Amino acid sequence: MSRNTYTVPQLEERARRLRQHVVRMVARGGIGYLLQGLGAADIFAALYFSELRLREHEPDWVARDRCLLSTAHNTAIFYAALAERGLMPAALLNTYTADGSVLEINASERVGTIVEATCGSLGQGLSVAVGMALSLRRQGLESRVYVILGDGELQEGQVWEAALSAGGFKLDNLCMIIDRNRMQVEGHTDKVVDMDPITGKFEAFGWEATQINGNNMAELTASLERARRAKGKPSLVVANTLTGSGVPFLEGQLNHLTFISKDDAARALDILEGVAA
Amino acid sequence: MSGNIATVGGFKDQRYRDEVLSARSYGQALLAAAKANDRIVCLGADLSQPTETYLFRDELPDRFFMLGIQEANMIGVAGGMARCGDIPFAHSFCVFITRRVYDQIAMQLAYPNANAKIVGFIPGLTTELGVSHQAIDDIALMRALPNMTVFEPSGPEQVGAAFQAALDHEGPVYLRLSMMYGAPAPDESTPLVPLRRGKGLIIAEGADAAIIASGIMVSEALKARALLAERGISAAVANFASLKPLDSALVEELARTRRVLVTAENHSVIGGLGAAVAETIALSNTRPRFGMIGVKDVFAEGGSTPFLLQRYGLAASDIARKVEELHR
Repeated sequence: MSRNTYTVPQLEERARRLRQHVVRMVARGGIGYLLQGLGAADIFAALYFSELRLREHEPDWVARDRCLLSTAHNTAIFYAALAERGLMPAALLNTYTADGSVLEINASERVGTIVEATCGSLGQGLSVAVGMALSLRRQGLESRVYVILGDGELQEGQVWEAALSAGGFKLDNLCMIIDRNRMQVEGHTDKVVDMDPITGKFEAFGWEATQINGNNMAELTASLERARRAKGKPSLVVANTLTGSGVPFLEGQLNHLTFISKDDAARALDILEGVAA
Repeated sequence: MSGNIATVGGFKDQRYRDEVLSARSYGQALLAAAKANDRIVCLGADLSQPTETYLFRDELPDRFFMLGIQEANMIGVAGGMARCGDIPFAHSFCVFITRRVYDQIAMQLAYPNANAKIVGFIPGLTTELGVSHQAIDDIALMRALPNMTVFEPSGPEQVGAAFQAALDHEGPVYLRLSMMYGAPAPDESTPLVPLRRGKGLIIAEGADAAIIASGIMVSEALKARALLAERGISAAVANFASLKPLDSALVEELARTRRVLVTAENHSVIGGLGAAVAETIALSNTRPRFGMIGVKDVFAEGGSTPFLLQRYGLAASDIARKVEELHR
């Protein structure tokens, strides 16, 4: 329930376990968000095993921290984190993307309350997070709201409406993590629309903004800690992540929706399990 | 559906209920309800005066959230607040609170069945502001969304009941309201009209024909009824303020018992009240002579409401003529 139970090496070990799930889930179904999942594994480990206050046996606990996945397609890593954290049965992971399963390729609230909003239509998650932060604050709850966006998603105009209002309402119970993996369907995000400087844009909107290596656990936990101490401003952590992180032969590839062969999956698992040993 | 939304519930306090039901303006109804239920929050996207929410702003500033001119964000914010157990009422003009933010409503309010209300002013042709401000497809859009309820009261005499019905329903509701800002004060002597979700109301009897109307077209239908009486045709008028769910039983009864059925709506004839009634008739075993009065699949223009109703064929005389033609 409380945060900061694990050390940085323990969280790194959690991230390795999450990566193993991602490879198995995508290999089993033959399809899924593999490269982004591996890239964001450290973010999810830092959030679900260190930062978020959640109750495994009471997922809809009123005073929980909220975490929204606005990039709702990055589900292999999301479901793996929910299962490892005990918020849904691990056996469910075997049904990822299967017909009839609640573990759809875009996360919906069919999974349960712990999917705090259905966000497959990009650009909406931050607005919902702003609404939650406003309600939780006015209700006197200490819950914090976390929302994960992709860097490509910043192209959506609604994100900037929400960024303006979060700054204007001084929502210091709100923390946005931008998973800056530089990948969208069209290719490299900066070749589609040049985004930089991201932190500067949000600072101009009244945010506390910082940029880190999103595959470095110590930097992740320190930036989340800093965000929690921010007063009178919402916080942004731009987490630069490497697609395929943790599996060298997949690192840096830019394929939005990925297939992985059984052989490659076995190679990837050898690497991930070998490192763990 | 997350548990914390479903458990909160609407406004159930009987004392304030009377005050809400007897309010002849939306802004008064909202304020009276909010005084009794501290879960009610008010969201604005500019426009506090024309949406009558300045009353709420001035009396309950802690629960008033002015987002500025950003409707898409406002709908997302409403979804987030509803998920935390608040009951948000989000306001703008009808076009901007529906068509401009359709995907946001679908995903953040309708899909999760969020207990949030969207409230629009300036329906259909009732504005000088022109095509950008004329909502002629909002009912069609909202009606197509699963989980969505749509109410359009006939006027000040039914606005309190419409508000109460919206609050009593635990789920998303679109309230389509005529703008009172700048209009003469409502006539307090007009009897109040109730509204029950999923129920239409026969407000005037007549054996030959029935006119099914909502919103400002209810009064046009009553004027048409008077014109028809002069010509020896007796027409009933039904107020269908609950556009979704629609009272299909009453539609079938009217279709079975009257020779002529005509709908009258301040909206496109595609996808609104007329289309909903036509669908109901087509799926029933009744075959009345049927006509639709509404905007005939065209964009309109700015102008006074009487002028536009005449120009686009929505006036009482147009309704009467349609009934008469079908009755021959």
